[in-house]
Amino acid sequence: MTAKKSGSRLETEIERCRSEAQWDKIPELVRQLSAKLISNDDLGELLLGECKLQTYLKENPIKQGASPRGPRPKLVEVRKHLTAALDRGNLKPDYLQEASLLMAKLCYVEGDYKDALGHYNKVNLDELQLGGAPVYRLSMIAEAYATKGLCLEKVPHSSPSLANRNTGSPSSNRGITERDQEIITCYEKSGDIALLYLQEAEKALSAGMQNRSPKPGPATQEQELGYFLETGLQRAHVIHFKNGNLTRGVGRFREILRAVETRTTQNLRMTIARQLAEILLRGMCEQSYWSPLEDPPTVSPLDDPTRHGHVHSKNYTLSRRPRVYSGENLFCPQENTEEALLLLLISESMANRDAVLSRIPEHNNDRIISLQSASVVYDLLTIALGRRGQYEMLSECLERAMKFAFEEFHLWYQLALSLMAAGKSARAVKVLKECIRLKPDDPTLPLLAVKLCIGPLHWLDEGETFAKMVIEMGEKAAEFRAKGYLAMGLVYSLKATDASLRSLQEEYQRKALAAFQRAQSLSPTDHLAAFYLALQLAVSRQIPEALGYVRQALQLQGDDVHSLHLLALLLSAQKHYHDALNIIEMALSEYPENFNLLYTKVKLESMCKGPEEALLTCKHMLQIWKSFYNLTNPSDSGRGSSLLDRAIADRRQLNAMTLPDFSSVHATSIAASRVEQALSEVASSLQSSAPKHGPLHPWMTLAQIWLHAAEVYIGMSKPAEATACTQEAANLFPTSHNVLYMRGQIAELRGNSEEAKRWYEEALSINPTHVKTMQRLGLILHQLQRYSLSEKVLRDAVQVNSTAHDVWNSLGEVLQAQGNSAAATECFLTALELEASSPILPFTIIPRAL
Amino acid sequence: MLAMDQGVVEEWLSEYKTLPDSAVSSYAASLKDKGALIPALYKVIRENYSDEIVDKDGQSKVLSFTVPSLSKPSVYHEPSTIGSLALTEGALANHGLTRVVYSGPHLQRETFTAQNKFEVLTFLLLCYNAALSYMSMTSLQSLCQLSSRVCICGYPRQQMRRYKGISIRMTVTSEFLVQLITGIHYALCNGEVELGSKALDDVLYRAQLELFPEALLVGNAIKSSLHGAALKNNAKDGGRSIQVEITPTSSRISRNAVTSLSIRGHRWKRHDAVDLGSPDELMDISEVDEGVWPGGVCPETTPTITISNSVTTLNLGAKAMKKCRLGSRASKDKETAPQITNRANGENVELTVKRLTLTSSQSVPKGGALTSLTRTASAVFSRSFEQVASGNSPNSNHTTSEAGRYSCSLQEEGLGYLSPGPNHTQRSPSISVHLGSDL
Repeated sequence: MTAKKSGSRLETEIERCRSEAQWDKIPELVRQLSAKLISNDDLGELLLGECKLQTYLKENPIKQGASPRGPRPKLVEVRKHLTAALDRGNLKPDYLQEASLLMAKLCYVEGDYKDALGHYNKVNLDELQLGGAPVYRLSMIAEAYATKGLCLEKVPHSSPSLANRNTGSPSSNRGITERDQEIITCYEKSGDIALLYLQEAEKALSAGMQNRSPKPGPATQEQELGYFLETGLQRAHVIHFKNGNLTRGVGRFREILRAVETRTTQNLRMTIARQLAEILLRGMCEQSYWSPLEDPPTVSPLDDPTRHGHVHSKNYTLSRRPRVYSGENLFCPQENTEEALLLLLISESMANRDAVLSRIPEHNNDRIISLQSASVVYDLLTIALGRRGQYEMLSECLERAMKFAFEEFHLWYQLALSLMAAGKSARAVKVLKECIRLKPDDPTLPLLAVKLCIGPLHWLDEGETFAKMVIEMGEKAAEFRAKGYLAMGLVYSLKATDASLRSLQEEYQRKALAAFQRAQSLSPTDHLAAFYLALQLAVSRQIPEALGYVRQALQLQGDDVHSLHLLALLLSAQKHYHDALNIIEMALSEYPENFNLLYTKVKLESMCKGPEEALLTCKHMLQIWKSFYNLTNPSDSGRGSSLLDRAIADRRQLNAMTLPDFSSVHATSIAASRVEQALSEVASSLQSSAPKHGPLHPWMTLAQIWLHAAEVYIGMSKPAEATACTQEAANLFPTSHNVLYMRGQIAELRGNSEEAKRWYEEALSINPTHVKTMQRLGLILHQLQRYSLSEKVLRDAVQVNSTAHDVWNSLGEVLQAQGNSAAATECFLTALELEASSPILPFTIIPRAL
Repeated sequence: MLAMDQGVVEEWLSEYKTLPDSAVSSYAASLKDKGALIPALYKVIRENYSDEIVDKDGQSKVLSFTVPSLSKPSVYHEPSTIGSLALTEGALANHGLTRVVYSGPHLQRETFTAQNKFEVLTFLLLCYNAALSYMSMTSLQSLCQLSSRVCICGYPRQQMRRYKGISIRMTVTSEFLVQLITGIHYALCNGEVELGSKALDDVLYRAQLELFPEALLVGNAIKSSLHGAALKNNAKDGGRSIQVEITPTSSRISRNAVTSLSIRGHRWKRHDAVDLGSPDELMDISEVDEGVWPGGVCPETTPTITISNSVTTLNLGAKAMKKCRLGSRASKDKETAPQITNRANGENVELTVKRLTLTSSQSVPKGGALTSLTRTASAVFSRSFEQVASGNSPNSNHTTSEAGRYSCSLQEEGLGYLSPGPNHTQRSPSISVHLGSDL
């Protein structure tokens, strides 16, 4: 530093150093200053006093919450400089004020709170100019207000309330005194001016950087706020909340957050945004909410009613305020969840920016802090979005949390659950696998996975693996053990339905039965165990036993729709059609919109009351369908929220379907059976009108209704009407084997065997194991006298479903026509026996889910 | 009629209020003999529900809220200062502010059935939760106790708690539990620590047994977020216990541990030939070089620009930010009028109609949106039912047009997945519905 600086330049340099807190440069500048002008000696004293005080505070920072006890420092030199600057009285008024403010601060540091207050009273803080002041002076004024507030809190006052608060006694008069208000106002002003200072400092810094190229500033390290500014920014809302004045506390939070951010305030904003979100989620509700741009309510249930004198809005003005976010079309939340979400998204972006992912030991502490702060934000996001049912968006948010998730069970688990809730089943299972790896002893995890495997995914092998995990936990699984067996039973039961070999089918049925029995004995009060045991017995045509268990299930859960349905089907198997219809009608009085029950009703009505009644029920179903899905107003709905959206999303999925592997017969049948399964699931998922996840498929329901109607018309020998109904279903699912099968039946009705045969063959090319089609095709082949082919088809059908009595019957007829009367007789007997226990609709239309 | 029922319920409530604590259990046991009470309660609940689900004009009420987006300026932030936003499909779809329905419209219910009772109860709890701040401590306590009872009755935990009376398992739904949890959360944070934590545990227990992901998700999050938070049990004090402390404003994380910064450090080394004063300016340059900076690289591709303008992909220094704002403003000036209107639209609340229009074109072969289908359904329905009744055989062109319509829908739907095998029948497209296979 050889060249001496000219006057004004020197002054600018001093101002810059003060603003940027480069106290180490000050002594040299003061030396240059005093070399220039004698009259600047006083300013020199001021600067030296300031620089020594600030350096002391930098080296011995006052900590938040640290008790002020212990020996007070004596900063003799600082006092000497400041006294010199003040005493001679040669300073310009601005500098004189600065010297007083510094003197007051010194008094505070030395513990002389009364003296400090005396200095502040002399200066009159409210008259200090904020406009046009150099940046450093804004900081000084902000600190002065904060320090004054601190002094006021420390100096005992005659007011009894203050004394009470200091001793922590909650009783007696806890009204807010004028002095309390004065303290709060000091902090609020300090906070406002501090924000303004930080904005101005940042502006000056970036302007400075452009002008002065070669000389780097202080390595753009974030400025530290220091004790006084930190207190000024935060103490006001801390006091508001302590006083139970939530309204004002929230108001203060919002004021701070609305101020345009600076680098230095980023961490503060992140903390405050999170805290405000917490308050919005934990301490407010829709009705006690007011928007950030509205005036707070004058009376609010949020404020502690036992304290009096709450002031709900700011009662001071400043000549200059910090800049706030502004502009056109600014989004302003109108509801507590909206505001909480906005704040959390902002916090999330900040938490992600400061993510520490490094696993090296030196970074361990930092990593844990960054994980925790992100984790809290994601938990709060989950609460906010979960309440509003926005699981799709939640799963996307939690996916972003996964960068923190290595070996963190909670994050993995929450992601898995959100994926599950959002209906992203396949991914959910993958994530659950990782959860299981991290927590192998938790039976809930494999059970959740098996629920998805049995339900939407139909991954039965995977499901079996998960169910085994639970069973292998043994006693450790406690209450979940029975559920494990239930899951296992369901897996086997579904496998039995899928199996195309009779021996395999029977083996799975046996295994399923054993598992359900185990579940039922482990948890005799669980109606599901009794119900599925009954269902499995019914499927293997042990009707009386099944009736026993379904009664037990109904005793445990009298209004369970599936148990009632099963009871009706069992009664129909015993040919008590009227009783069955009564049960169905009773069930429908509790579940009027359950399509599965209605399908059975249609069948039973055609049987007991004639087709006209059945058609009326079909019409009723269409009306229900319409009122159900027409209700959702498309213009109001966002993504994934309404039934309609789900329907359309599902429909898209339908269009994006991939071709099943035609080389393998088995895969095809699975694919086709999935359609069947989906059809029945649709019906079952409608039992509650609340939007459910998974394959809720209005279109499939509609197609199903049309097909049922078509069937009734076929029963009435009305091919034209049946065709019209089938066409409706075909418009939705042109390649469904059910539609093709129905077309075949209509052709038969018209006496057009050749055409019927073509339709049946097409149906079988889509689903080669559709038993009803095979039976009809076998019959037609029989009529065409192609006996051996007919026999082959019918034998295949029996392999697929050994309980289809009409197939046995047809097979008998073919065998008889071929002259094989012994085998034919056996077939007829089997058919008769099976017919005696055959329900009006297959038992498997009752959905099986965990 | 309702007034009478209300009278019965009010009488019951006032009777209950006068009871000394010791008499509560015997009074409760005698409740089942009050024949008029239960139907009256049902009636009052149903009426309340019917009142709440419609607005003052009698229209079905739809409760909705706006999902905020960081890519739109708000009272709390400016998009340009937010760091990188993941450009996922979801983020793009959600680029604007989205209005989302979270409840409603609900059907008017004539009767309370097993099927609709949880829809009704869930909605009523939603209403209760909307007014939580106005509820008395007693009410919150009852909510917690009710939650515990409903969730554990009939399960092994009931014995542990020694609850007497009903031991039948009560059906619950996941949505209902989520609403219970919301109320419990409030109670838990506002003085009812003990009852609240017990209730939360019991609801989670049940959610686990029922394998309800939604309830588990929210319940776990509450538990985890309260972990370590000192909750004050000041129920008797009558106060709400929300407290905050002064926190240090400087980052608790050391800068060189922060991953994104350390990655930038690597880039810096690559550019160290350029000698510039501050890392900020370096950032500026390196990003332009790497083509990340949208304005500088491809000013013509408008859609991407609009997105990247607000979704700044990197966290830049103040100066760089200013530069880029200038840059994009300049390029915007060259844009044509439609783009400006685009932008104007974008800044309004965007209803996600676009999603609907997008899908409708490829959804139903015949119509489009669901509504039109319903219309079709009812139209054809009347043909096939009413016309049958009057003896008219419905239009024979149904059969003739069938083939044409069939192949047409094949073209619409089947294009992408027609079997490549040439020998297959012409109607071979797949019908495998991969429901739920979302990968």
